[in-house]
Amino acid sequence: MFQLSNVNFKNIIKYPEINISEHKVTFICGKSGSGKSTLLKLLNASISPDEGEVLYHSIPVTDYDTVLLRREVILASQSVYLSDQSIRDNFMEYYSYRGLPAPDDTIICKFLDLCIANFPLTANCHELSGGERQRVFLAICLSFLPKVLMLDEPTSALDEITANSLLKSLTDYCHKEHITLIAITHDLSLAKKYADELILLPTEA
Amino acid sequence: MNGIIVLNLWQFGAVYLLLLIVLGIMKKCHIDQTKLLMIASLRMTLQLVLAGLILTYIFKNPHPIFVILYLTSMMGMAIHTVLSRNKGINKRFKVIVSTSLVLTGLTIILFFILGVVGVSFFNPQYTIPISGMIVGNAMTGVSLGVKTFHETIQSQKSKIDTLINIGASPKNILIPYVNKSLETALLPTLNSMLGMGIISLPGMMTGQILSGTLPTTAILYQIAIMIAITAVTCLAVFCSLYFGYRTLYNSKNQMLL
Repeated sequence: MFQLSNVNFKNIIKYPEINISEHKVTFICGKSGSGKSTLLKLLNASISPDEGEVLYHSIPVTDYDTVLLRREVILASQSVYLSDQSIRDNFMEYYSYRGLPAPDDTIICKFLDLCIANFPLTANCHELSGGERQRVFLAICLSFLPKVLMLDEPTSALDEITANSLLKSLTDYCHKEHITLIAITHDLSLAKKYADELILLPTEA
Repeated sequence: MNGIIVLNLWQFGAVYLLLLIVLGIMKKCHIDQTKLLMIASLRMTLQLVLAGLILTYIFKNPHPIFVILYLTSMMGMAIHTVLSRNKGINKRFKVIVSTSLVLTGLTIILFFILGVVGVSFFNPQYTIPISGMIVGNAMTGVSLGVKTFHETIQSQKSKIDTLINIGASPKNILIPYVNKSLETALLPTLNSMLGMGIISLPGMMTGQILSGTLPTTAILYQIAIMIAITAVTCLAVFCSLYFGYRTLYNSKNQMLL
């Protein structure tokens, strides 16, 4: 579904040929500086390579209406942005940025559950821990029902048990709903456990 | 009503004594800006003496070319000031800010001189001082508005990135910052309107009264100019930011911050 060929980003990162399949869970591993986060930004066309092509369904990503592309291919970036208000208000804020009507409480709760974040909707995000905020943010991203969900280090702030239950829940849901999941992690054992396909990025010498 | 008392040089010199007080306090409080105080008061003196001489000459020898030259240099200085206070913005944004300042400034000046006062545009006695007030206030407003906008955007880069990545359009992301910065730029003008006549008698009105104009006439001018200032501030900041924010992303909806 995604294909990268001869992609060179600012001469800092040169990617090998990469193919990412539809409806699969793909994990991307590599040392820091190997261009994992940059790869996800290339896939949603929020940055462009200096050379080479990034194709989505055989069409260059930049030929799409890039805003619509990013709605179909959502990237939950590593920097979690939640404002100091309730979980419900944060959902509403993101929905208004997307120009969508506010979601029902039942919908919100469903996705919070899926992301192991079943906190009360009135809980202030300011009082949540880093890992809890990360899961609330994931729930917001997942609730947009993208065709492709890209996660940048989704378990970086989580303990092993929570990380496992989150990935189990997410991969199950994505398989069931035919959502393509692409996740970055530096934890190879987690990746091996949950990935259908694994991409190892080499570190540039 | 009598005309104004002409200050003689000795009397005038006395006012500089007040600067010594400021200097004394600055020394005592270790405010390290004595150099700025000196330069600022010196520059003000020179610039105003120069303006006085030039205006006297222009009023005695009125010619359209003088009005145009004066307005052009006024606009040039205003643009220079706004841009030097906002060095971080990109080239296209700078062009938009400059164009907005000139076009909105000219529109309001023309409306005021021709429509409200009803004198010739090339009457230097009206056009030059009124343009000065209008352009000066537009400059302060645009400077504040663009600075607020630019600084907020810079401090919110990661939020903006996050929103881009979930498929929000750059327009939806940036417009709230445009609106907020416009509000910030407008507030000082709106607040000054509130106190007018009670807390402060504004400069133009004071000047007219001192030189013998009836206060009832002076207030009409003051009200008119305040409204013109509000309008020009609002228009200039709105155009600068509303057309300017589009320079922050490209046709692929990638942010250029």
